[in-house]
Amino acid sequence: MVLVYKMSTKSLWLLFIFIGSSYSETYSEELFIKPLATGYVYSFFQFTVIREDDSFKHSTLFPHSLGDIIDRFHVAELNVDLTSGLWKHKSWGYPAVDAPSGAEISARFHNDTQDVDKHWYGLTNALSGLLCTSLNFINSANSYESSADRVYRYSNLPRENVCTENLTPWKKLLPCDSTRGLSSLLNSGRVHNANYHSLGIHFRPLCNAGKCKYELRQTVSLVYDSIFISFNNNYDWSLRKMFGTGLFKTCPLADYSKIYLDTSSNSSVPYLISQEPDYVLKNNIAVYNLNGIFHLSAIVPRPKIVVSELRPLLYTDRFITGFGQEYGGLVTRIYNDHKSPIIATVIENIPWFLPIYYHTLKVTSNGIRIIPKALIYKPGKGRVRIYYLEIVLELAPRSVTEISVQFDYVFLKWQEYPPDANHGFYIGSAIVKATIPRNATSLTFDKSLIIDNLNSTGDDYLICLKTENFIITLPTPDFSMPYNVICLACTVVALAFGPIHNITTKRLKLTTAKYVPGLASVAQKLYVLMETIFMLKSKKTGKPTPVKVFTPEELSYHPTLGHVSEEFMKNKGN
Amino acid sequence: MKSYFLLSFLTCANFLNIHVCLANHSNNWAVLVDTSRFWFNYRHVANVLSIYRSVKRLGIPDSQIILMVADDMACNPRNPSPATVFNNADQQLNVYGDDVEVDFRGYEVTVENFVRLLTGRLPPDTPRSKQLLTDEGSNILIYLTGHGGDGFLKFQDSEEVTSQELADALEQMWQKRRYHEIFFMIDTCQASSMYEKFYSPNILAMASSLVGEDSLSHHVDPAIGVYIIDRYTFYALKFLENVKLKSRISMKSFLGVCPKQDCISTVGVRIDLFHRDLAKVPITDFFGSVRPVELTFDFLDISNTPL
Repeated sequence: MVLVYKMSTKSLWLLFIFIGSSYSETYSEELFIKPLATGYVYSFFQFTVIREDDSFKHSTLFPHSLGDIIDRFHVAELNVDLTSGLWKHKSWGYPAVDAPSGAEISARFHNDTQDVDKHWYGLTNALSGLLCTSLNFINSANSYESSADRVYRYSNLPRENVCTENLTPWKKLLPCDSTRGLSSLLNSGRVHNANYHSLGIHFRPLCNAGKCKYELRQTVSLVYDSIFISFNNNYDWSLRKMFGTGLFKTCPLADYSKIYLDTSSNSSVPYLISQEPDYVLKNNIAVYNLNGIFHLSAIVPRPKIVVSELRPLLYTDRFITGFGQEYGGLVTRIYNDHKSPIIATVIENIPWFLPIYYHTLKVTSNGIRIIPKALIYKPGKGRVRIYYLEIVLELAPRSVTEISVQFDYVFLKWQEYPPDANHGFYIGSAIVKATIPRNATSLTFDKSLIIDNLNSTGDDYLICLKTENFIITLPTPDFSMPYNVICLACTVVALAFGPIHNITTKRLKLTTAKYVPGLASVAQKLYVLMETIFMLKSKKTGKPTPVKVFTPEELSYHPTLGHVSEEFMKNKGN
Repeated sequence: MKSYFLLSFLTCANFLNIHVCLANHSNNWAVLVDTSRFWFNYRHVANVLSIYRSVKRLGIPDSQIILMVADDMACNPRNPSPATVFNNADQQLNVYGDDVEVDFRGYEVTVENFVRLLTGRLPPDTPRSKQLLTDEGSNILIYLTGHGGDGFLKFQDSEEVTSQELADALEQMWQKRRYHEIFFMIDTCQASSMYEKFYSPNILAMASSLVGEDSLSHHVDPAIGVYIIDRYTFYALKFLENVKLKSRISMKSFLGVCPKQDCISTVGVRIDLFHRDLAKVPITDFFGSVRPVELTFDFLDISNTPL
């Protein structure tokens, strides 16, 4: 059996080579490491497959399971991100891929797609099976279509957690799985121990003069606290400390594997790197070509003062206001630190169970009320549609722009509450899109490969910021109330029914009881006892005491006792 | 190169002379359900993952295991070691593993989804990994764990499946020829009440406790802070860890897996619906996926075999 198996794998390999020759696909593995301010280390993995053919019937490197889904649901562009943690723009700058906590998915379908919604729900269901996520919860009540683009759909599920069951199928999409190459660094225990981790799948066409290529980028963003991962309470970091393993073999299917290390923070906090780079890009990016065993570590002296890097030009802040469980407010702040104005688009998607009052919408810049350049508002509808708010703003130089709106907390139907309703309800992030000058950020990530991004020049760079999620407590009913009501009602009924039933169905009658008070009763009991012991041994059973039942005629009336027997009255008279 | 490829293919085909033994079933499936949410029910997730680990180790592929886990314990912020679920305070065995695939998770674990999964009455968009694609040759292991009572099993503390509903679902499966044999295992309080209503043939059922008894947990891990596994599943896993793919351990010995001094509750078994001699049923008929293959070194003429 072993022999047979060996032979068949060999022939399979040959089969691969035959098919592979006719389709052009390239694959590259890259890892970008950047030490962030305050001792954090950002590592960004990118596995890129680029192919020239958009029919996914045959492929060698492009994952079949994903190709089938893309084909079947007419997908032109797809972004899926599964994230845990919050990216702190203010202190960390911009990430390569900005994703809010939870699951986020957006897709653009082919322009000729007829029933876009049907394809959208089909796509999310298929991806939920592929990635072990609950993307099948996406419906019209938590997704929206772009105001400008008929074939674009977006949704996020802020409650979605990310764990090994998502990483496993994600890794299976890679040509080398996790056995070789950079993906062997992705051990579930380490990935999910990061302060911020995000898995992504990004598919898009790259068209140039009518000729298209198709790019699939699988990305992982990880942020580790170097104090937490180093045991000596210092800022040192290494591949082994972060990922629990070194790098042993490169993936033979990759056209190239590279590691880039951003050393731009070396100017403020100089640190030592264990390996000499193969070459240096733009004076501050160390590049390592991988071919075999590789290890990288850095010794970072503990700085006396932690110097935060250049603040990003644009960052956001979002929170809720108000108290109690009746009314609340939602505030989104956008900080522009640039010396010239920036045009930004803010998209708020607010779930239907948080109905907003449009008339309370207020946009202020440095405290002065302004009028947005454009505003699109689609009111929500209970259980069917979100409240969609798209605002185009001109952010004044060095300003804080604040968008605020009031909302109601609503009661849901009893069955609509999740099993852990008291945990609260998650509200997804808002999106802020803006074009900033390319030189205003140290790194840009809009090209296919990281190396192209590092080399890129140009004028503008489109950034897409995702704000914080937040959690609200909707007024939750007391779920044990029906039970309590049943218990209480039953008690009341039982208490009421018993006496009423007795009163209406039974007649009270008085009989005389044999009653001898005091010493005499003891004597009588003794007598009875003696009688049973001495005299009546043969009589096993005692004589039943005859109870005299009186007819109403026999009864006579006593002023305090009511109807009593005549005998009683006679005795009393005596 | 092409000729070499053809040659190798032919050689390969010559070797592919396989006699399939007359097995009673043709494929194995497992439906493993944890119905409890919240951190203090960590043990139920450990229970279901213990069985998941065993069936996967014994050869049932992930595509044929439907795993339902109602809460995220592995990556829960309260878990001191993320992406792990241990069956023992000594933390030797991470039952969550490094390549787990959870098919239904969180709010997806509902009575409706469970019954739909069993009976195959699913919405048209349901992905393959969320379907029980069994046929009349399938042996199915059904394992349930959670909080239950006399005649019901709670799902996520908000709804429950009754024993009658479960029995009817299984009967529907039988009528639709969706199984060959079922081994039904349940670890919950008053567990045996869940199989008492079964009336479909070829079901072997086992429960961690009889009606009127509680199923008890095994021990606390002070680092995790809660009970980490139930007694019945703890001993079942201990037993299954010693089962190898080729071992001839019978179902009969598995039924004695947790004697009363270990479980404290009495393990209930129902065999009247099952028509084979339990001593002759290998445990891998339900917990593993063993293809009975016999090798021959004789040449076989495949020229007339349709490809």
